[in-house]
Amino acid sequence: MTDPKAIENNPFKELGKIPELRFKQGYSVHSTYIPMRDGVKIAATICLPNGLLPNDKIPTVLIQTRYWRAMELRIPFRWVLDEVVTANPDPEITTGRGYAYIRTDVRGTGASFGIRRIPFSEEEVKDGADVVDWIISQSWSDGNVVSKGISYTGTTAEVFSTTHHPAIKAIIPGHGLWDSYTDVAYPGGCYDLAFMQMWSFLGRNLDLNNPKVFRQIMPSVWLFSKGVKPVDTDCDLKLFQDAIDKHKQNQYVHEHALDRNYRDEPLPEGTTYDDIIFNRKSRIEESNLPMLIWCSWYDSGYIDAAIHRFLNLSNPMMVILGDWNHGAGFPANQFFPKRVHVTPSPRERINAFMNFFDKCIYGKSIESKILYYYTLAEEKWKKTKIWPPKGHMYQRWYLSENFILSKKLPENDVGEDDYKINFRATTGRLNRWWTLLAQPIDYQPRTRMDEKLLCYTSQPFEKDTEITGQAIICLYLASSHEDGAIFVYFEDVDEQGNVTYITDGEFRVIHRKVSNEEPPYKILIPYHTYSKEDASPLIPGEIAELKFGLHTTSVFIRKDHRIRIAIAGADKDTFLRYPTDGRPTITISRNKTNSSYIDLPIIENKNNSQGV
Amino acid sequence: MEELYPTLKDMLKESIESKIDKPNLTIYLILKNQIKGNIAEPKEIIIMLKMFGGLREDIPIDIGIDNEIQRIALKFQTEANFNKIQEIMETIWENTVNMLIEVTKGNFNIINDIPDVDD
Repeated sequence: MTDPKAIENNPFKELGKIPELRFKQGYSVHSTYIPMRDGVKIAATICLPNGLLPNDKIPTVLIQTRYWRAMELRIPFRWVLDEVVTANPDPEITTGRGYAYIRTDVRGTGASFGIRRIPFSEEEVKDGADVVDWIISQSWSDGNVVSKGISYTGTTAEVFSTTHHPAIKAIIPGHGLWDSYTDVAYPGGCYDLAFMQMWSFLGRNLDLNNPKVFRQIMPSVWLFSKGVKPVDTDCDLKLFQDAIDKHKQNQYVHEHALDRNYRDEPLPEGTTYDDIIFNRKSRIEESNLPMLIWCSWYDSGYIDAAIHRFLNLSNPMMVILGDWNHGAGFPANQFFPKRVHVTPSPRERINAFMNFFDKCIYGKSIESKILYYYTLAEEKWKKTKIWPPKGHMYQRWYLSENFILSKKLPENDVGEDDYKINFRATTGRLNRWWTLLAQPIDYQPRTRMDEKLLCYTSQPFEKDTEITGQAIICLYLASSHEDGAIFVYFEDVDEQGNVTYITDGEFRVIHRKVSNEEPPYKILIPYHTYSKEDASPLIPGEIAELKFGLHTTSVFIRKDHRIRIAIAGADKDTFLRYPTDGRPTITISRNKTNSSYIDLPIIENKNNSQGV
Repeated sequence: MEELYPTLKDMLKESIESKIDKPNLTIYLILKNQIKGNIAEPKEIIIMLKMFGGLREDIPIDIGIDNEIQRIALKFQTEANFNKIQEIMETIWENTVNMLIEVTKGNFNIINDIPDVDD
């Protein structure tokens, strides 16, 4: 069961009560092609509330997707459901609340024309403004457009703000990336092979309208759908076929990324990983659009992305960080693995989003920045106007002899632990990276997994302790090889010895140089450029300092629980193997001279973060 | 989308009326909702029977589709085939929804023995 306290206190309720529906008779659905400035036709599906009178004017919620705006349903579903059913209950609630609900296939995808070489290209972004021009020219439009989405559509909503179209009033980017290199493609410089390969495979087959492949990877979609929905007016499907043929020229991220290692290696159209979001920072800020940003502690590097938006964007914003999977389809709190429902429910969440849009269009919009976060294990929502929250301080824990994690600096002159990398180590396929494909999250059984790893465990905590922020680990490490990757899992161990995953960090050793340059955006961990110039292969046998951040979290370590860091050299079902050949032995120093440690972000005075 | 599943079975049962004409070895499916465009192609009916009804063989069915009155007629040459499909139709909507629920839970095995139905 979902924790009743969490239901009671969740911050989505801060956005107000759900008003009575303005339209109660369902909605109509039709589709059309919208011409862009360069002649490319963008497919759009438009849902309007039934009962809309000729003189009624309503705002629009726009969703720009690369995952099919609408589906051609198989029978019998086509006989009882509409083509936007997979977005349910979004269209129903949105139209009921008195908005038009429009979904477009971004250029090069679905039934839209155009060619796609990179995600979120400038042309794709400009299309958003052209679509808005079309929307506000419709007889039912009141001239206001808002946009939201989860993951890809969250990012299209965010970059939509850079068009500075005056009709756009607010955006809700949910579970979106900020730095495509570290948040998703190369977390810590390690290539997320599983996701990049799968996402590219999925994208190609979506773009070629080949639903067959979903039988293996997304069977519910395969059972439901015959493919993308052609546009209504395209009766002989000639346009549809032309559009799909064009998509054969599309390119996919895995093709560009696999044989590369560095952030500064160019992508097509003269772009880089930096151009997706954070290089657009000033343009997003110039829009001054109010934003509602939401994500989860367990979502890939996207949790750090949410924090980076809060730290770096001046836009008025509300940020909500919870304990669900990517997109909030499933609960993901590893302390409560038996929960079956997400809090809030999709219906409650969507209604809260509509309340946010209502505020921005009709009422008093938000004017400042506020962040709500859920502390795992404490099961409590809190709010803060600053990040890290007040009372934040680092507490240093040293890797010590007998595999102990201790607050006491090692006193011995000599002390080190060897670990031969186990390339069978894995967090499985229900981890924070696979969830980017909307998978649930399950890190169990950690106890068994830790047997393959190098673990350091603390003594039982003497008092309840909140850890909120990004831990930083510093390892003094020698290896038998020049290249390698280090995975550090941060875990809770209860009185019975049950181990619960909290967060992790991963890092490819060749990127270890901590740069003195100014980072391109504000970060709270050591800055690594991941550039070719700064690459520093290890010298076998020589001790090097490796210092990097773990993904942001908020967790409550209860009195008598212990904490553990578990160190691996591979996560075989997710990341590319480093080095490609050989099986390195690493040696971690834990002595007076080279004292490896982890800095934990403790919230010293709990009263500083207000409960919700 | 998953929140639809509890009501989907009833939606299917209420929106699709089956009529049996045993003397003429014909099963009619009459759609009560207003459907945009063609209600189905004959091939889609076979796919539906294979995907959701568990049909594993190719049996001759004369499929007549009347888009005007939204009626599909499945006519059989033998009583055995008629009985087979009649039996399938008795549970097909329940099977359809159960299959969706199972794959959503991660039980992909449930679709393993569906034959290749896509072009």
